[in-house]
Amino acid sequence: MERLVSQQIPVMAHLVLGYPTLKESIRTAETYIAAGVTILELQIPFSHPTADGPVITAACQEAVERQHVSVEDSLAAIRTIRDKYPEQEIMVMSYVNRVYAYGLKKFVETMNALQIMHLIVPDLPVDDSSFIIHHSSLKLVPVLAANVSDTRLEKLLAMDFDFYYLMSDFKITGSTFSLNPRLQGVIDRIKQSSPAKRVGIGFGISTPQQARLVTEVADVAIIGSALIQAQQNGTLDDYLDQLALIGSVEHGLEG
Amino acid sequence: MDTTQTAYKDLILQSDGYFGPYGGCFVPEVLLPGLLEIAAAFDELKFDAAFLAEFHDALHTFSGRPTAFTPLPRLTEAIGGAQLFLKNEGLNHTGAHKITHCIGQILLAKRLGKKRIIAETGAGQHGYATAAVCARFGLDCTVYMGRKDYERQRPNVYWMELLGTKVVPVEDGSQTLNDAVIAAFKDWVANPESYYLLGSAVGPHPYPAMNTFFQKVVGEEIRKQCIEATGRLPDYCVACVGGGSNAMGMFYDFLDEEEVGLIGVEAGGRGVLAGEHAAKVQHGQLGIFEGYHSYFLQDGDGNIASTHSVSAGLDYCGVSPILAYLADEGRVQFETASDEAALAAVQRLARMEGLIPALESAHGFAHAFELAATLPKDKIVVVNASGRGEKDLFITMRHFQEESLIAYAKHLLK
Repeated sequence: MERLVSQQIPVMAHLVLGYPTLKESIRTAETYIAAGVTILELQIPFSHPTADGPVITAACQEAVERQHVSVEDSLAAIRTIRDKYPEQEIMVMSYVNRVYAYGLKKFVETMNALQIMHLIVPDLPVDDSSFIIHHSSLKLVPVLAANVSDTRLEKLLAMDFDFYYLMSDFKITGSTFSLNPRLQGVIDRIKQSSPAKRVGIGFGISTPQQARLVTEVADVAIIGSALIQAQQNGTLDDYLDQLALIGSVEHGLEG
Repeated sequence: MDTTQTAYKDLILQSDGYFGPYGGCFVPEVLLPGLLEIAAAFDELKFDAAFLAEFHDALHTFSGRPTAFTPLPRLTEAIGGAQLFLKNEGLNHTGAHKITHCIGQILLAKRLGKKRIIAETGAGQHGYATAAVCARFGLDCTVYMGRKDYERQRPNVYWMELLGTKVVPVEDGSQTLNDAVIAAFKDWVANPESYYLLGSAVGPHPYPAMNTFFQKVVGEEIRKQCIEATGRLPDYCVACVGGGSNAMGMFYDFLDEEEVGLIGVEAGGRGVLAGEHAAKVQHGQLGIFEGYHSYFLQDGDGNIASTHSVSAGLDYCGVSPILAYLADEGRVQFETASDEAALAAVQRLARMEGLIPALESAHGFAHAFELAATLPKDKIVVVNASGRGEKDLFITMRHFQEESLIAYAKHLLK
């Protein structure tokens, strides 16, 4: 198992804090870390997740309406995970209104204290002047699609973002998988500007096979809805094993 | 006396999306190219004489503008205060002011070569108007409508379908306007080549400024008609406020004349408790949602709260960033009217003046009746009847004549 884990394909595993309960979401995070995920993406639930599909929307609604998970509860959960796994790369995701309501400055300070280096806010244009984050190790993550204009991409590349989240295609999370043919050009341009800039691709990746396909062009495959569904179906362990196996086979073929 | 007046009209017309601290363009990057394309086209077309001529021609020949400006003599006498007038936007084709910005936007979408339109609707008035212009100008149309609104505004669903539009009931959340907006945005993310015809003075830039620009014809007509009828400008303009499109349409032309009082009336619903009303300016908190910074009804921790109003068109969590700015500036005053007061206003206007306003507009009348009573007889109060009340048949009938409604339903099912 250890050997398989070390060869697993690079995955960013997403979960909604507070779904199905706050405690269980912390346990799920630990399961992902034990399975060797490259990045753990923790979503602070919001009542109206405008960019998410039905699976994540339902999970957010459960967390907000039935579990009553606050921003403070979510940050406490992140602290619990951080304290236990100081080396794990963690990205935090939420919607702009929750960060705004909590207070941007206080939120950024908390991220710094928790050694969170990346914040994903899909409904916040990353260059909005009122949200420029100064004097912080925290960077926003641009969430781009294949229709990003050259001018826009060059503007973002000139800023200091170091992780780019690309939408696999024009869709919401949890849709059918497809990879937009124009994405390769966007990835090439990002890598050309600096090989140190990482690229993750998400939206609609449901099978480990699709995840493997994505990592042929990106640094990490981002999986969200499919993991929640696997958890709901009681097949999460199988799913994570498959991810590891596929990584291992891939490794074998290439090696 | 302070003689310097803020030039609000120019500020709105020339805005890059911000009105004081409000507005902006808080959307996923995937939507930015589409919004920039619309904003660029709007910046050009708002000064394009040929485009504006085409717009005004369609308003006249297709929608029947100008709409009537009607004195309300019997109500004025009964109340015994200020003189009451009504701007009858309900006489527009499809029954409300909504068709005005739909005509403007569809002409813009045509210029951009768009083939498919996406829209959201609450009461169904914006959806119905969008469906009509799409049929008229030959574009495909999909309208999202919260399941609750889909059920309570069934006549408008039928009209939209008759016009060839696909109406999609939205099962998420509270199943009202807010959820329809989100579903429409999600469709646009999946289909960025489509045109999103947003139906109020809300949302990301350029919608608040653009819909205000198209709707400002309402206030321009009121100016002319009020001078013709009375020889002067109104002392007060009163409009209901859901998102704010009819209010901005009525107010815009008077913004720089401080002697004209501007009053927005929000839905007071069943009371002041959270979830029982839709009064954003008076009970909301600052937030950023659905693309813009403004006042929203929230839970205190950044979650959007549920709303209630007897009128689907006012049953919405946010308010135009332009109105939020004008409220802070003290230029527009905000009041509330309850569900009950709105229903009573429908009945009073029907009995006394032979006019049946939409439940949304009735909120404006409910407040205007109270206001008029406090004013001397030489004052003029104009109320925007943003829509007509036929679409509310099953809601008002349930309230006024429930037994007849049940008997009619049984008869239909025979």
